[in-house]
Amino acid sequence: MKNLFSLLILSVSIIFANLSPAKAESLQMGISVDQVPVDSSFNGAEIVIFGSIETTEQAALFRGEYDVVIRVEGAPEDVIIRKKDRIGGIWINNEAESYESVPSFYAILSARPLNLISNSIELGPVSLGINNLGKNIPVEGQKTLIMNPGEFSDALRRLRIEQDLFSEIPGTLKQLSPSLFRATLSIPANVPIGEHKVTAFLFRNGEILNTNESSFKIEKVGFERWIYDLAHEQGLLYGIMAVLMAIFTGWAANAIFRKN
Amino acid sequence: MSIYLPIAEMSVNIFVLFGMGAAVGFLSGMFGVGGGFLMTPLLIFYNIPPAVAVATEANQIVASSFSGALAHFRKGTVDVKLGVMLLIGGLIGSTLGVYIFSSLRSAGQLDLIISLLYVVFLGAIGTLMTIESLNAIRKSKNNDAPPKRKTGHDSWIHKLPFKVRFRKSKLYLSVIPILVLGMLVGILAAIMGVGGGFIMVPAMIYLLRVPTNVVIGTSLFQIIFVTSYTTIIQSATNQTVDVVLALILMVGGVIGAQFGAAAGHKLKGEQLRALLGLLVLGVCIRLGYDLVVTPTDLFNIIGSMDGGGH
Repeated sequence: MKNLFSLLILSVSIIFANLSPAKAESLQMGISVDQVPVDSSFNGAEIVIFGSIETTEQAALFRGEYDVVIRVEGAPEDVIIRKKDRIGGIWINNEAESYESVPSFYAILSARPLNLISNSIELGPVSLGINNLGKNIPVEGQKTLIMNPGEFSDALRRLRIEQDLFSEIPGTLKQLSPSLFRATLSIPANVPIGEHKVTAFLFRNGEILNTNESSFKIEKVGFERWIYDLAHEQGLLYGIMAVLMAIFTGWAANAIFRKN
Repeated sequence: MSIYLPIAEMSVNIFVLFGMGAAVGFLSGMFGVGGGFLMTPLLIFYNIPPAVAVATEANQIVASSFSGALAHFRKGTVDVKLGVMLLIGGLIGSTLGVYIFSSLRSAGQLDLIISLLYVVFLGAIGTLMTIESLNAIRKSKNNDAPPKRKTGHDSWIHKLPFKVRFRKSKLYLSVIPILVLGMLVGILAAIMGVGGGFIMVPAMIYLLRVPTNVVIGTSLFQIIFVTSYTTIIQSATNQTVDVVLALILMVGGVIGAQFGAAAGHKLKGEQLRALLGLLVLGVCIRLGYDLVVTPTDLFNIIGSMDGGGH
């Protein structure tokens, strides 16, 4: 069913995007997991995305003319970035910029640097790469990253890269054979919870020929999930339980150590 | 061994946190203080989001103050009536404090205000405590008689109206300074993530002239309720209490406190106060240094999906 659905999306995007006149090429893709569970021992994870290039032009395939780029995106979020200034001798958050629809997680997996795959990568209907974030969001009135270039958007990119939430590392995708590829995505422990979209792009001579979409979920499970849901949905009850836990711990400590 | 904190949304080392809880517990057992003023900065140095550190610390203090207050109840060194009066002020203050906390957080100035409050209060109290205890040590060496406790009818505080009698404390005192003191400490407790004992105890001794033997028990008694209330209000409005973090700190804290209390019996009161004063000054200087020195990164970023209950 899922495959059928993605096929449908694929064919719709082929019809409407009009990416390439000849549709002789396509991409197949699979992800090692649908869900990454976040439990008490969660300390990041690694997932594998694999797939194949399907083309009638076998000669071009064997010459290595095709490139695959995979984009992983977390849910968009609003971001505030603040800059400290020295005021009266101490450092205080002063100027601030806010941006809308910034992906909460963004990873580009590719074999080669993006600028070697296509030199017009930011000009096409899709923009790829950390430096082109926000270019393909046409929503009127939204303040996206690319619209306000400058030290704030630079700092946002830099900080997110330092937090391992944005990454663009050549070599994260490997061509196992002319048609088979395998990409490894490192998920940091601070990854945002929720659905992450995975889109694979097939390039030839710098042009996008085809795409394929899939997704996986990062979900809190078990005790962690229960605690998180309770805290956010039943804050009052959660608080009362936290207090009861504390009183019990205090009482237990007192009882145990008094006997000794 | 690392453990994932469900509210702070980060992976931390359980032994580091347990060790921090035990170390602060040891010091608080030794000096008879709650330890929130040490724990909250330590958590922030360990990269726990300040909003989570402050709210979770309130939860931990419930455990340590309850444990401590039980011992004082047994010895009969709690003035419940005075404690309830302080508590009424405290609950009002805590409500205000949580509200201030939320608005500072949305204005992006929470971290700064937390640091500034710490520097000011720790600096003032650390200095007073160190000077007072050094004087006491010098006097005890000269074998002077300790100064008599003032009778408690000479200051302006004792001339205020609405006087109430507190039998246990042997005081006849206006409720106004008690409510105001409770309220101020409540505000600070909510914003700074402390029980407020380090302000409450000196204020009760020097301003209200409460006899020293009931001060600690009464202060602990009201701290239980103020921090419980803060925990519940923070949970309901900011969702920043991390119970997993709190539990690790609590267990470390109550164990450390037992050993600290045993160590504390081996030192004289004024020596303890001098050490505590120096410790308080040390934390103050460390926090003050961070405010003044050029930060490694001038920018900081907050996304709507970042940890800490946004």
